[in-house]
Amino acid sequence: MNPEEKSIVHEITSGLSRRHFLRAGGAAALAALAGSEARLVAGTTKFEPRADSVILLWMAGGMAQTETYDPKRYTPFQPGLESKAVLSTFPSIDTAVDNIKISQGLERIASVMDRGTLIRSHRVGDLGFILHSRHQFHWHTGYPPPQSVAAPHMGAVVSRTLGARNPDIPAFIDIGQNLEIGAESDSVKAFHTAGFLGSEHSPFLISDPADAVSRTRPSENIGRTRFVRRYDEYKKLVAASPVARYGSDFQRESLLRSFENAHRLLNSPAAKAFDLSLEPRKSYDVYNTGRFGLGCLLARRLVEAGARFVEVTTEYIPFRYWDTHENGHTRTVQMKKDVDAPIAQLILDLEQRGLLDRTLIVIASEFGRDMMTEGKPGQEVKQQVQQPTVMTEMKHYGMHRHYTEASCVLLFGGGSPKGKLYGKTADERPVTIVENPVIIDDLHATIYAALGIAPDTFYEVEKRPFYVTKDGKGKVVEALRA
Amino acid sequence: MDFATQIHPILAARCVPCHSGDKPPAGLAFTSRATAVKGGASGPAIAPGDSAHSLMILKVTKQKGAVMPPVGAPLSSEQIALLKQWIDEGAVWPDSPSAAASAWQAPIAPRQPPLPPGSQANPIDRFVAAYFAERKLEMPQPVSDAMFARRVYFDVWGLPPTAAQLESFLNDKSPQKRARLVDALLSDRTMYAQNWISWWNDLLRNDTGVTYQGERKSITPWLLAALEQNTPYDQMVSALVNPVKSTDPDGFLIGVNWRGTVNASQTPYMQAAQNTAQVFLGINLKCASCHDSFVNRYKLRESYGMAALFSPESRLELVRCDVKQGKFVTPHLLYPDLGSVPEDASLVDRHAAAARFFTDPRNGRVPRTIVNRYWQKLFGRGLVEPVDDMDSRPWNADLLDWLASDFTAHGNDLKYLLRTILTSQAYQSPAVVSKEQADKNFVFAGPLVRRLSAEEFADSVGLITGEWRLRPEGNNAVRCRDWELKSSPLSLALGRPIRDQVFTTRDNHATTFQALELVNGQTLEKAIHRGTLRMLGELPPAPVNAFDSGPVTHGAVSFDINIAGAKRLWILTQDAGSYDPTRTIAGWSDVELVGPKGTRKLAELETLSKFDRQAITADKHHYGESMVVPLNSKLVYPLEELGFTRMRGRVVVDDRSRPSDIAGSVRFFVFTAEPDPERLVKIDGQPPVPAAPPVKDPDQAIHRLYLTLLSREPTDNELRVSREFFASQSATAHKPEPAAMEDFLWSMLMHPDFQYLY
Repeated sequence: MNPEEKSIVHEITSGLSRRHFLRAGGAAALAALAGSEARLVAGTTKFEPRADSVILLWMAGGMAQTETYDPKRYTPFQPGLESKAVLSTFPSIDTAVDNIKISQGLERIASVMDRGTLIRSHRVGDLGFILHSRHQFHWHTGYPPPQSVAAPHMGAVVSRTLGARNPDIPAFIDIGQNLEIGAESDSVKAFHTAGFLGSEHSPFLISDPADAVSRTRPSENIGRTRFVRRYDEYKKLVAASPVARYGSDFQRESLLRSFENAHRLLNSPAAKAFDLSLEPRKSYDVYNTGRFGLGCLLARRLVEAGARFVEVTTEYIPFRYWDTHENGHTRTVQMKKDVDAPIAQLILDLEQRGLLDRTLIVIASEFGRDMMTEGKPGQEVKQQVQQPTVMTEMKHYGMHRHYTEASCVLLFGGGSPKGKLYGKTADERPVTIVENPVIIDDLHATIYAALGIAPDTFYEVEKRPFYVTKDGKGKVVEALRA
Repeated sequence: MDFATQIHPILAARCVPCHSGDKPPAGLAFTSRATAVKGGASGPAIAPGDSAHSLMILKVTKQKGAVMPPVGAPLSSEQIALLKQWIDEGAVWPDSPSAAASAWQAPIAPRQPPLPPGSQANPIDRFVAAYFAERKLEMPQPVSDAMFARRVYFDVWGLPPTAAQLESFLNDKSPQKRARLVDALLSDRTMYAQNWISWWNDLLRNDTGVTYQGERKSITPWLLAALEQNTPYDQMVSALVNPVKSTDPDGFLIGVNWRGTVNASQTPYMQAAQNTAQVFLGINLKCASCHDSFVNRYKLRESYGMAALFSPESRLELVRCDVKQGKFVTPHLLYPDLGSVPEDASLVDRHAAAARFFTDPRNGRVPRTIVNRYWQKLFGRGLVEPVDDMDSRPWNADLLDWLASDFTAHGNDLKYLLRTILTSQAYQSPAVVSKEQADKNFVFAGPLVRRLSAEEFADSVGLITGEWRLRPEGNNAVRCRDWELKSSPLSLALGRPIRDQVFTTRDNHATTFQALELVNGQTLEKAIHRGTLRMLGELPPAPVNAFDSGPVTHGAVSFDINIAGAKRLWILTQDAGSYDPTRTIAGWSDVELVGPKGTRKLAELETLSKFDRQAITADKHHYGESMVVPLNSKLVYPLEELGFTRMRGRVVVDDRSRPSDIAGSVRFFVFTAEPDPERLVKIDGQPPVPAAPPVKDPDQAIHRLYLTLLSREPTDNELRVSREFFASQSATAHKPEPAAMEDFLWSMLMHPDFQYLY
């Protein structure tokens, strides 16, 4: 080392004690050292894991339960029809399970109903006012905002608690949601985060599944050859620093290791899972009902490759997709076309590959819908969505109001019962839950338990416990476990 | 046995919700070891060392009287086994207030300890020298001028020194030059405020433009002015807790609210209680907002007492763990010795009382807390840690108390505090690695190695390249520093928080997720791409638009513009903040091109671009068939030899875009040269830092990047390796290839010697 180099080394290293400033070479053996990670404390009850992965299929915008998985008396449209007379705008159809009927338009899902459990008694939080993103925040984190600490998304909790199944596939992948959606952008961003669990567990966001591969390979503007060369040159440059030649400290090491991981991931064969162009045409076409359908295909490929938690959303954009404020019936016809075939195919594909037993598929939405009640029966919220007393046009026909009392959840695989119906709602308005309500805390407890995570597992943050289900009180619903 | 992780959760969930408060059932409170051992009406609940005779165990196992807990599932056998073991091992309760109190009681009153004797000019160094002497350690030698300059430029301006600034400092022969540099940096009000505002935004959870359809209000204009004017800290605190003027920051007390009902512990006034206690006093009231705290000494009624200073009604009903208690609390100061507030005081009077409390000269906790925060910001670790638990013992109480009282004696002058610290030898010591600082038996050895913040990183890119991001100002734009914009994927990955809570430390650990953003993220890729072109002098100046409608929310705007000589037209329809851009209907109506050869309708000219023909009604006026395009799309028309000189017509936003769930806002542009999508509007003013002239050859680029980003020249070895980036070029005397330059710039930005402050 020449005198100039010595002085640079001295600058940077004279304050670092020998113990923590390792000679070059020795540093590589250091494990990842993150400074202030929230401490994990396992819950009191042991749950044997029944699932290794979760696929959450999110019906964003509030899926009308009486139009999908909890059909009631069907009344066809005709001008002059009284709104209050209508409970379902679709006839019921049979499913593969004798005592379960669901709505027309979901024939493919009906044919695989014997693989899963239908919950008709999911009751989400009563937040006093309808705000989709706030209910979504509540559902995805288990806590309604605001909160005094930054609450993590369920996928981040799973990522942090169980880690990645395959180091080259991000543990938590979120497919289909654009975060710039106008006025509710910030609210949607607020729960697409690992919160206090730190950026390592953030959702790996893929807004368009058809373009997923671009997130896992070097940018097209740079190209793989240049990308690889750039990294080689970078490593030489860092190695040329007198500091690096002297040794390294754990911060430098963790930075360099993070780059190594990112480059490994971007050059990994596992990244092929993200490339939908590699899927056989026939299979691709079954899934290809649009972005959601391709999202299901991507989810299947990712779980095969070792993803831990994948969310696929129909996407939340105010007044679009499942957020039917008018034209509810017509829109629901389209939404069913978008989701029916891909969901059913996902279940069949995972089953055929022997993965369904260890993959829990959850289909859920932030609340249900109704034509008359806005919010909760007996406690209706202000600012109701318009619905005429008597319908004159087709656009009036459908479930246009938000309903927090009851919604449907479906579970497939991952240790959930097969061909089971759970919970019941009244056959007349207000279609309240009459049997076995399942609140968010208990549903989450059941999902976490399937992964082997006790519902009172917590992270210590600011010396306080932050439980994976609200205040650690989520109760596992044994009836929802096979 | 670990109380915090094994026992505390059981007590917290199953015992304390009832057995706490002023009048706990049977007189038994499970809020501390002392109260549990003392017990209640039936005697001691816990007999340390003897679980078999502990009433608690007899109750939870239903061996005596009614089973406990009386509601919910009985405790599991595992939980009971844990409790037994814990009691048998002596019922250790380490966090109990009594244990903490006996060890250390943080004072409230200010205290000015005498300055230790010594020759050091800076008082901090007297304390630190004494501290080192006591431990028989040598006082470390200060870092070099270059290293010092890099540190203070980042710590005051949030940017590295430019090559010229660094050189001028290194060439200064004055023995006073370090103090003079600190003064010079502090005296630039704009640069100082533009840097420190990010730290204050974290602390006061202020995030301009971030809203949740509930109440929230930015305090940025006030905060920026306060920093620029160096408003004394006590005046800042006073304005925050007692906003009376229209320019005062009432957003701080409003808090973060989402439409709808909230849990009792998160009402706006409970948020105000939590935030004022955390920010100004270093007290965590979050636990004590639901129940008496287990981890510190604060009680539920104390949180409500503070909340009653900020709530519309001065009487608040206590709610413990979501259960109303039927008991009411009136305004009550956390330190009652500092005064009381009448029960029936008006909100105005209660706010004023809060201001008096937080700025009372007898309240030494407020200056201690801010002084400690500044110490932590500049040294990487506080005199007290965690910085939000000021009841903890400082590693040097005399130094903390002296700094706090000195700060008060100098008019709560934040720049004075900064100057005191930055000119100390302690601050100028070589950096130490943080891992050892996390050890329980902390020994101060110097500032920690710190990672650059998200804003420091992004602004450094602007500084080195001369290319900055834009924010709108009026109808034009100005180049700005990163804090002024909402967070980007890059800044989020680098640790900029979503400021829904108070953040007093940043999580900026290196993670794979973050590295993916740095290695392959679009935000940085674009910044490097444009920045490189700018550095090379090859970024073509963005063409000036021939027409800019400004944001149009309804109705029509007519235009008649000169397009003489245009070979091509670019007609852009951009979203300008619509609630739902996808349902916004906007278009171009009756557009004609006029020239010596006659007038043509635009809609009839040939183009490859697509548009719809739709009738538009704007402000109830019918415009007939118009050219309707989706937002953020463009129409391109080759004009070639047609010789048009003027273009006229109107832009329209259809009335169907007006409902509040769409709230269309559209901006229309016409360009006669290919627009730069990043630079559609006119840019006013100067960049935050003047740009350096373009680089001429690779060696110049290498030297400039080393000097600016690392504050040093490359070594011979580094120069050789750096040249390899440009090796495909035949001669070094030519302008670098953009791709090579991009890769080199990226590599330097990823360099650990850049990303860490040593």
